Amino acid sequence: MSGHETALRELPLIGRGHARYDGRAKVTGRAQFAADVVVADPIHAFLLLSTIPRGRIDRIKTDRALVLPGVIDILTHENAPALAAPVSQAAGSATNHQPLIDPDIVFDGQVIGVVLAENFETAREAAALVDIHYVKQPAAVTLDSPGAVTERWSEINQNFEDLEVGDAEKALAEAPVTIDATYHMQSQVHNAMEPFPTTVLWDGDDLIVHEPSQYVVGLQRGVARQLGIDPSRVRIISPYIGGGFGSKLSLTPRTAILAALARKHRRPVKLVATRSQGFTLSTYRGESRHRIRLGATPDGKLTAFAHEAWEMCSRFGAYASASTDLTADMYAAPSILTRVNIVRTDRTTPGFMRGPGEMPYMFALETAMDELAYRLEMDPVELRRLNEPARSPIDGSRFTSRSLVKCFDEAAERFGWRNRNPVPGANRDGDWLVGYGCAAATFPCFNYGGSATVTLLRSGRARVETAASEIGTGAYTALGQVAAELLDLPIENVEVLLGDSLLPPTAPAGGSMQTASTVPAIRLACERIVSRLGNRMPALADLGAAFDRLGTLSIQETAQYAAFDGKNANGGRAVLSTPDGDEPIAIASYGAQFVEVRINARTKELRVPRLVGAFAAGRILNERMALAQYRGGMVWGLSSALFEGLAIDPIQSRVTNTNFEEYAIPVNADVQMVEAILVPEEDHEVNPLGVKGIGEIGIVGVAAAVSNAIFHATGKRLRDLPITLDKLF
Amino acid sequence: MPGDPNLPNPHRRNFLRGSAGVAIAPFAVRAARAEIPALDASEDARALTAVGMTVNGQRRRLSVDARTSLLDALRDQAGLTGAKKGCDQGQCGACTVHVDRRRILSCLMFAVASDGADITTIEGLAGEDGALHPMQASFIDQDAFQCGFCTPGQILSAVACVKEGHAETEADIREYMSGNLCRCAAYPNIVAAIRQAKPLMEG
Repeated sequence: MSGHETALRELPLIGRGHARYDGRAKVTGRAQFAADVVVADPIHAFLLLSTIPRGRIDRIKTDRALVLPGVIDILTHENAPALAAPVSQAAGSATNHQPLIDPDIVFDGQVIGVVLAENFETAREAAALVDIHYVKQPAAVTLDSPGAVTERWSEINQNFEDLEVGDAEKALAEAPVTIDATYHMQSQVHNAMEPFPTTVLWDGDDLIVHEPSQYVVGLQRGVARQLGIDPSRVRIISPYIGGGFGSKLSLTPRTAILAALARKHRRPVKLVATRSQGFTLSTYRGESRHRIRLGATPDGKLTAFAHEAWEMCSRFGAYASASTDLTADMYAAPSILTRVNIVRTDRTTPGFMRGPGEMPYMFALETAMDELAYRLEMDPVELRRLNEPARSPIDGSRFTSRSLVKCFDEAAERFGWRNRNPVPGANRDGDWLVGYGCAAATFPCFNYGGSATVTLLRSGRARVETAASEIGTGAYTALGQVAAELLDLPIENVEVLLGDSLLPPTAPAGGSMQTASTVPAIRLACERIVSRLGNRMPALADLGAAFDRLGTLSIQETAQYAAFDGKNANGGRAVLSTPDGDEPIAIASYGAQFVEVRINARTKELRVPRLVGAFAAGRILNERMALAQYRGGMVWGLSSALFEGLAIDPIQSRVTNTNFEEYAIPVNADVQMVEAILVPEEDHEVNPLGVKGIGEIGIVGVAAAVSNAIFHATGKRLRDLPITLDKLF
Repeated sequence: MPGDPNLPNPHRRNFLRGSAGVAIAPFAVRAARAEIPALDASEDARALTAVGMTVNGQRRRLSVDARTSLLDALRDQAGLTGAKKGCDQGQCGACTVHVDRRRILSCLMFAVASDGADITTIEGLAGEDGALHPMQASFIDQDAFQCGFCTPGQILSAVACVKEGHAETEADIREYMSGNLCRCAAYPNIVAAIRQAKPLMEG
């Protein structure tokens, strides 16, 4: 992929930190998010969700609600418009559960009705007047609930295989030093600041959808499929997204239902779902449990690695993050045994949430590695250095670039790791117990390729167009910057259009792959523009003359990038075409996380004064955007360690904390020093620009580093997230 | 309220329906529809009540359901969508605006309670010449946001935080900015932006 003949200049390894392209729009309130879009005379929709986890709607009475002045319609399973096709995970939906087609309740918070009214207040009032009688059935809502059913993931997903390298059971039985520990984390929900708004309107046979989407092309196809119309009749408009984190990556059932209602009533329909409803309208990171077994020699060389995972799933869905390939690729264990299970429960289907499996699977592995280090009385950083693999321990694939040890060295140096007293519970500052912890981070590369249009005008202004999504990652800025630098233009001269399904399709803003998938297409388009200008970009002052010689006012090029000759990169694996034939390669970003915790010896109040992370992810296009992604991810890691978790009422089998007061996420006062270090890394094989993913790796490893720091502070090993105050006593 | 320029002509609806998809003047959005029987304001909370307020220096008259929050009135009727609905129950701060120079959560205030109030939203913070308020400029300089959804609320909270005298130390800023959630977690940058803007606001 690296052999493009080009007159384009090479970008720096760490690109200049231009301020956000969309900064002014966002600080003035002019950035138009989906719910801000004004449409003529909308009907306001309010959703009705189930308040039991399992059973059946025996009777649903809407007469009291329907007589309320201003109520237009109330849709339930008895009268909802039929759709051409139900949602389908196989077709890219977030779930297989299509609401409003039968009286069955299969999870708490399931959509069971839609109230339509002339205004929001009336719709909400009418929703409260709908009288629902359920026949309840017992429900299993946790991994340990009676009635939860465990299935092997490889038997459900034909594309997934558990790993077996050498004889890990034998190696474990014979290992002089072993760790055998089980780790657990509670379910988490994305909770982007923007909930789930959708406004739909028909213009004749054409549908316009204003909905925040991390993948406008996927949403377009999915809605069209459900409505039985051609995708070209559906336009998704999503220029700004108020946070995604995976929750806006896949089609949810609401969109097609609202579109059908808009068609029925011949008016636009506007939904602004409530915060509480957002807990079940999309996906979440399901509860999971991990058993890690490590075998090692007394001098710290791993002899065996075993990882068995149990992930929560729904009864009807098919999703597992299944990240054992990631953990098995971390360290040079000569024998490997993994197994992924899903546990079917009466909950909605989990799905992608920032570092979906990377976060929990690495929490387990990296805490286990710390346990092994203490058992061996070895520095945890040295243990990792000692077990750094030359090639993939799974299949011998070559790592195109892997800077894990360098990340540990740089972060350890900045953090002041060397000066720590390793004895647990021995570091005290007055009433405060002080602990240091570290852990590795990694995120595998994906690349689905993409396309983009670049237009250069005679005036020296340029435009970049692609159906990418700005979810806060800095997509506008980074994509525009690439074009500006390759065309040698001031960044102010470049306009960027994103978030519209009419634009050239590209990879989703998910799996940390959008930038790496899209910028090669932008580069290719720029290359063609420069080639038309005589293979050398004229100076800005000479551009007019150059265009005049060509007899044109603008040059427009649309280019498509097919990653790895169209075979794509998936889950950190790709196949490189070389003159000697195909070569399997392993590609991932790496990092190291260091954390200081302070725990009050009396009250157990826990504070995290410092997070330091170092990351290597190939070429960085914009330093400022990258630091923001890493630091934001690190706070997500802190949040997963100490704050987040759905609370289940075991008697009602319901989630009790579907709001920001009780589902805790960090506030400003919880976050002190968060430092990210960019470790330069050059990789000519991963794609033509050498860009890896940066959006998710920041969260990975932090929870383990926190729990390891707590062990260092207190001598107490905590293996269950979130680590709330009660667990410290 | 015949003749009120903020209330749409009922005949206008048909025209608007015909132009679906075209952005229209926001004041015309929420039609007082003929199908809704007129109710006496004194007896029914659903009755539309006229309220007058100053928003970003302009006198506005709005006609609101007594249950309408100030947030919804600003967004749906005044056409000021900068204030965001993140939770609608006072837990996230995305709807923060200034009412009579104090920061408030507009989702927790009824629009009818703001009769006579002087309200500033994010749209009214920059100068009339378009010059950004020092806090807005500092938010860009310090990269104090990512997705931008919480940003209008953060900036209005931040301006108030400085004016209240709660921006003397970083610890104070963190504490007094903790009512505004940022899921992207730009918190350290928000603190830096407030420290940058404070002397500019005071100078």
